[in-house]
Amino acid sequence: MADLPSGFWSGWIIVLTLVSLAGVAWLSISIYFSKDAETQADHEPVWDTDLKEGNNAPPMWWFWMLFAAMIFSLIYLMFFPGLGSYSGLLNWSQGSRVADSYANYEATFADSRQVISDASLEELQNDLDLMATAERIFTRECSPCHGPDGRGQAAMFPNLHDIDWQWGGTPEQIEQSIRQGRNAIMISWQQMLGNDLDAVTEYVSLLSEGNNQSHAGKAGYDQNCVVCHGPTGDGNQLLGAPRLNDDTWLYGGDIDSIRMSLTNGRFGVMPAFDQRLDDVQIKLLVALLAR
Amino acid sequence: MSGLSLHKKIEENAGLLIFGILFVSAIGGLVQILPILNQDSLSTATENTRVYSAVELTGRDIYIREGCSVCHSQQVRPLIAEVERYGAYSRAGEFVYDRPFLWGSKRTGPDLHRVGGKFSDDWHRIHLIDPRSVVEASIMPAYPWLADRDASDTGNISAKLSALRILGHPYSDEDIDNADADLQGIKEIDALIAYLQMLGTGYSEGDSS
Repeated sequence: MADLPSGFWSGWIIVLTLVSLAGVAWLSISIYFSKDAETQADHEPVWDTDLKEGNNAPPMWWFWMLFAAMIFSLIYLMFFPGLGSYSGLLNWSQGSRVADSYANYEATFADSRQVISDASLEELQNDLDLMATAERIFTRECSPCHGPDGRGQAAMFPNLHDIDWQWGGTPEQIEQSIRQGRNAIMISWQQMLGNDLDAVTEYVSLLSEGNNQSHAGKAGYDQNCVVCHGPTGDGNQLLGAPRLNDDTWLYGGDIDSIRMSLTNGRFGVMPAFDQRLDDVQIKLLVALLAR
Repeated sequence: MSGLSLHKKIEENAGLLIFGILFVSAIGGLVQILPILNQDSLSTATENTRVYSAVELTGRDIYIREGCSVCHSQQVRPLIAEVERYGAYSRAGEFVYDRPFLWGSKRTGPDLHRVGGKFSDDWHRIHLIDPRSVVEASIMPAYPWLADRDASDTGNISAKLSALRILGHPYSDEDIDNADADLQGIKEIDALIAYLQMLGTGYSEGDSS
C-alpha cells in the first residue's frame, strides 16, 4: 500500500512527468514570448481586404496562472511522493500520517488516560464525567445489541442492568466477556427429548416455583439439562447457562419461547472487542457495567 | 524551432495533429495507470485474504443486487478518526478477489469494510429483517424478503466460480463441484450474513503491507 513503484517503472514515471512538464513550459513560454509572433502575423494570407488568420496569445493572466501551476507542481513533487520511487523531502505516506495522528493523540491524552488506568473501579464509578464518557462508548459499541439503555432487546440480547449475569457479573468476568467475547452453545434437544419435549418445557417453566418433584418432565430434565443448568435450574456462569428458576428470561419465559429454545437450540454470541477497543475504553466500560 | 512554427506545422498536417492529440492525452494514463498495472505489490493478496466461498460470493451478489453499496462504503480511509471508528484502514491487497470492488462513494450508513465479526449472526438477521427493532434511530430500509428466498435461486454459482477461476482466482475443482450443494437449504439472508461476517477479515494489525 505505502510502497512506491520501483525499478524501470519508477524511471518511466520520473522521465515522463518531468519531460511533459518541461514540454508544457517550453510551449507556453515560446508562444507567449515568441519574437516572430508579430512578423508571422504579417505573412498570413489576407482575404476580402481585412480577413486574415493570426495567432493571438491568450491573455497574460492566463500565462501566469499556468506558470504558477507549474511551479506548484515542482514544489509538490519535491516534498511529496509522486516521482516514482522518490518519497519526497517530507517522507510523507498515508501510514505515517495515521501514525503521526496517533502519536499526537497519545501526547495530548496520555496523562488523562494514565489517570483512568491508575484509578480503582470505584473511583471511576464515582466520577460522573468519566461515566458519561463510558456511556458514550457504550452507545457506540454496545447499544446496537444491548439497546440504548443497556436493558437488552429483541428477546435475545441480555439486559445488563438486572441482577442476572449469564457469564458472571464480577468486573473480571465482565472484562473477559468484552475482551474475548462469549459463545453460548445450547444444541437442539428435539431428537434427544423426543416425546418428553412438551413435559420438559412445562417443567422448565415451573422451575421458579420450586418443588416439582412429581412433574412428568423432571426425568427428562434431570437426564439432559442438569449438566449445564444445574439440578434446581441455578444455571452455570462458567458455561453461560442461564438461571432457569427465576423470572428473568433471556429468550422469553412463556411456554412457546421455551419450547422454541429446546427445539432449535440457542447460540448466543457476544463478539470479542479486544481489537476494537483499547484498555482504557474497556476499563471504563467495565466500571460502567459493574456499577 | 519555436512554439509558433511547430503550431503552424501541426495545424497544417491533420495526421500529425491526430497523433499529437492522442499522445498528449495518453500521458496521464502512461504515468498513472500503466505502472500500477505492473506493480505486483498492489495486486498481491494480504496474508489472510482468501477467495470468497460459494455462500459468501452469493451473499456478495445479493449485497450488490440490493444496492447496499449505494449507502455503505467499503473503504476505511487512513485517518485517525476512521481508524478509531471502524478499525485498521483498508489495504489494496484486501480487494484482489473483489470483482468489481465495492468501495462505494457514499456513506448514508456506516462503512462496512471492518464489519466482519463486529455483530453476531443473530443480530444481523434481526437487523436485516427489521432494522428498527434493534437500532431505534436507524434509517436503513428493511429487507424481509431475504429470509424467504432460497440462496440457490440467485444464479448459477458453479458457473460464477468457474468464470472467476479463469480470471485467476484459486478455486479448486472441488470448490466448483460443491458450490451448488453448499447453497442448498440456506436462505439469501444466510448467504448475505456469511458475506458480511468475512468482510474486512483479510487484514489484522501487524500484517505486512
